[in-house]
Amino acid sequence: MGMKQYIIRRLIYSFFILAAVSVLVFAMVRLLPGDPIRAAMQQNVDLTDDKIVQEVRARYGLDKPIHVQYVIWLTDFFQGDWGISLSSGEPVLHMFLRRLPVTLELFVGATLWAWIIGIPMGVLSALRRNSWLDASFTTVSVLGVSIPSFWEAILFIYLFAVILKILPPSGYVAFFDNPVQNLQSVLMPTFVMGTHAAGSFARYIRSSILEVLNQDYIRTARAKGLREKAVLIKHAAKPAMTPIVTIVGMSWAHLLSGSFIIEFMFAIPGLGRMGLDAVFARDFPVIQATLIVGALNVLLMNLAVDIAYGFLDPRIRITK
Amino acid sequence: MTPLLEVKNLKTQFLTDDGLVTAVDGISYNLFEGETLGLVGESGCGKSVSALSLINLIPNPPGKVVGGEVFFEGRDLLKLTDNEVRAVRGDKIAMIFQEPMTSLNPVLTIGYQIGEPLEVHRGATREEALRESVNLLAKVQISEGQTRVKSYPHLFSGGMRQRVMIAMGLACNPRMIIADEPTTALDVTIQAQLLELMKGLTREFGTSLIIITHNLGVVARYADRVNVMYAGRIVEKGPARDIYADPRHPYTIGLMASVPRLDQDTKVKLIPIDGQPPDLLHIPSGCSFHPRCKYAVERCRFDRPELTVVSENHEAACWVDVRK
Amino acid sequence: MSESEKPALATTESLETRRISQVGMKALVRTLLKHKLSRLGLTCICLLILMAIFAPVLAPYHPNDQDLYNVLKGPSKEHWLGTDNVGRDLLSRILYGARVSMTVATFATLGAIMIGAFFGLLAGFKGGVIDSIIMRTTDTFMVFPGLIFILMMAAALGPGMKNVVIAIILFGWTGAARIIRGQVLAVREEPYVEAAKASGASEWRIMFKYVLPNSIAPMIVVTALAMGAAVGMEAGAAFLGIGVQPPTPSWGRELRTGYSYLERVPLFSIAPGALITLAILSFTLVGDGLRDALDPRIRGEGKKIK
Repeated sequence: MGMKQYIIRRLIYSFFILAAVSVLVFAMVRLLPGDPIRAAMQQNVDLTDDKIVQEVRARYGLDKPIHVQYVIWLTDFFQGDWGISLSSGEPVLHMFLRRLPVTLELFVGATLWAWIIGIPMGVLSALRRNSWLDASFTTVSVLGVSIPSFWEAILFIYLFAVILKILPPSGYVAFFDNPVQNLQSVLMPTFVMGTHAAGSFARYIRSSILEVLNQDYIRTARAKGLREKAVLIKHAAKPAMTPIVTIVGMSWAHLLSGSFIIEFMFAIPGLGRMGLDAVFARDFPVIQATLIVGALNVLLMNLAVDIAYGFLDPRIRITK
Repeated sequence: MTPLLEVKNLKTQFLTDDGLVTAVDGISYNLFEGETLGLVGESGCGKSVSALSLINLIPNPPGKVVGGEVFFEGRDLLKLTDNEVRAVRGDKIAMIFQEPMTSLNPVLTIGYQIGEPLEVHRGATREEALRESVNLLAKVQISEGQTRVKSYPHLFSGGMRQRVMIAMGLACNPRMIIADEPTTALDVTIQAQLLELMKGLTREFGTSLIIITHNLGVVARYADRVNVMYAGRIVEKGPARDIYADPRHPYTIGLMASVPRLDQDTKVKLIPIDGQPPDLLHIPSGCSFHPRCKYAVERCRFDRPELTVVSENHEAACWVDVRK
Repeated sequence: MSESEKPALATTESLETRRISQVGMKALVRTLLKHKLSRLGLTCICLLILMAIFAPVLAPYHPNDQDLYNVLKGPSKEHWLGTDNVGRDLLSRILYGARVSMTVATFATLGAIMIGAFFGLLAGFKGGVIDSIIMRTTDTFMVFPGLIFILMMAAALGPGMKNVVIAIILFGWTGAARIIRGQVLAVREEPYVEAAKASGASEWRIMFKYVLPNSIAPMIVVTALAMGAAVGMEAGAAFLGIGVQPPTPSWGRELRTGYSYLERVPLFSIAPGALITLAILSFTLVGDGLRDALDPRIRGEGKKIK
């Protein structure tokens, strides 16, 4: 029906937002205090020599008017020239590509944990409402949402690395170098990243299912003589999916935030660590790229969620 | 002639945060084949709950049917297992609800929803059920059934959705349909259409119908017999004609007087019933209507009246003979 | 009675709650206190607020008093939680840390809610182009994951508590705006709004006197949850070195320092983190309790009839 148009509309909209985001990122980064040139050059060059400063400025294109800078930056970006890191001198795109698989592994691992723990907890809580199971699951999920990831990480590190000494406290070994060590090194980080999302899932799924079960059309289904299982699967599952899809999408976005802290704590050379270091070093090409990629990540996930909505809920294709 | 449905002393309670509420307090009535019974009363009098109690649709928590018997086709529905009642629901006894806008599942096609009882109770395949859905849509006077079956509920108006609900109820050719305020949420003209439709269908198929409503006009036109409920009990029952021509319970009289009638002089004042509907947590002692009753005597305050025959097939629960 | 359609609002944009006027403040508080968990949360929040206010009275030492002869000691009679790496009393520092967390959480949340409410009200009420602009802006801001945005902002603005507050406000207003807008869209169709319009009330008057008070119910839930989130964000930023600067005690900062001495003095890492968790947990529990108390759909909680 309206499915194709719906997807196209969402795509165009995402594009528009991406453009707005790029402007925002560009502006935000320019707000960072401290002339990046001087900051970067502090080690090598005599700052009082204005001519040299001018030269470096020109090299980075910082002498041109701001809107021109923006256009140059944008076109460069799309052609794959993401600039050079002011801290390391490495091309930013290279840094990204190098670190992307690492962070991706963390994301996938965290998502797996979140699904394995969170979804059953949420579903069972809803179906066995107000039982002991529900009470304990609800408590656990509220705790999972409330505990800050960095503290959770500390607790785990203390237990498993310091006391039990069965997992490394930090460090990363690539999968293709040594699979076993790789899994050991990502076990705690992914678990910590995943627990917050798991708690979120459990809470959201529980309330979503309960909300659906309270709807009139569930009563109609029961009045038709369906078995309770059939009511759940045929009538409750699909409507409940929409909010669940929302939360799954939203937590994917939060994973990037989480990765900043987790990669820092576990000394994992991923995108999060890179971004964090860049913020402190005022390494603005890297910061820009991180923000854009982070935003793109979220936009893509939102798009996927919207498309899923379109399949799940026929009303969406008409409204909006 | 044995009745199709025999309700004896049905009692249903709810446990709320504020206490135990007896929503249905020992009601008894019969329903015969092919007849239309009107169940009348104001909001909160227990009429909907009594209907849900018949087919085990009372959610527990917080509610439960705590007493009575419901004989249908020779069996006490209240004594059956969940599965056995489930087999009756939707097949022999169908129910139509009040809110057409929310009673249909928005993510399933109406063709699927109409045909579902056939899949559940008759073992029909998806295709067979869908084919029958098209026929059923025609029966409820929705045209272009072939295309409509693939549509989703949100494309339909309230009146049409209610027709879909009726079609759904008719799917397995039930012996009895319970319609809980089927037209309350709809425009008046649509109300009339729908009721005519239901009446026609029940006549055509010999289905019994229980119409639950607070609308006296509906009951007057379409019901054969009427039960008037107040605070969880039946206070008057009898043939519709008699109830309207010769109401014997003060509450019924009050209801009649508070509703405009075409055969009345326009200058006649509408007299509302004094007071408020009772708080079910604190039902008045004796006759639960006595605080609001113009005819109340001393006895009404502590002695609760049972239904007594006041004329042929006509019973009322009152100590006072209102004709005097 | 004529047919009515429910407004088509996506679940994420509207929390269906009863109006506070329908429930009544007293009933609201009563329900809130009835449930054990929200009671617990509320108690803890009060304790934390008291901790923050009365820190100077409660703390046995001044939080910046160094004692280089008693560095990194475990719990003892003089120092119930031990000392940190320059001999400062950990208990005192944690008590004072409550000040930062509570202050930042309060001001950041209030700021975000007020700004968000203003824009949400404007967007929902006026509709049209204004609505579009505001919504696109929130969409753009919301695309950034929280911590990243806050780090950036706080790093850009410089160190200090005030800037963390500003950063959180800049991030958080979008959520508040969307929720209020959703409520406003529903409320503005209500008859009393039409009546007000018909009797000639000015737009601003209608907005603030009629629409806003009836739109705040879900906001209350969100405020509680947002306070918890704000505590977490401030602590996270402090952990990474942004925001409050030493020697001012902040739970996040203490945790960071404690982390480097994890093996030697584990309590140093456990105590501040436990309090951060406690604060977030309490706000979350209260938020949940509020949401349940305002939920029109709670039917038959709990007890079955035997």
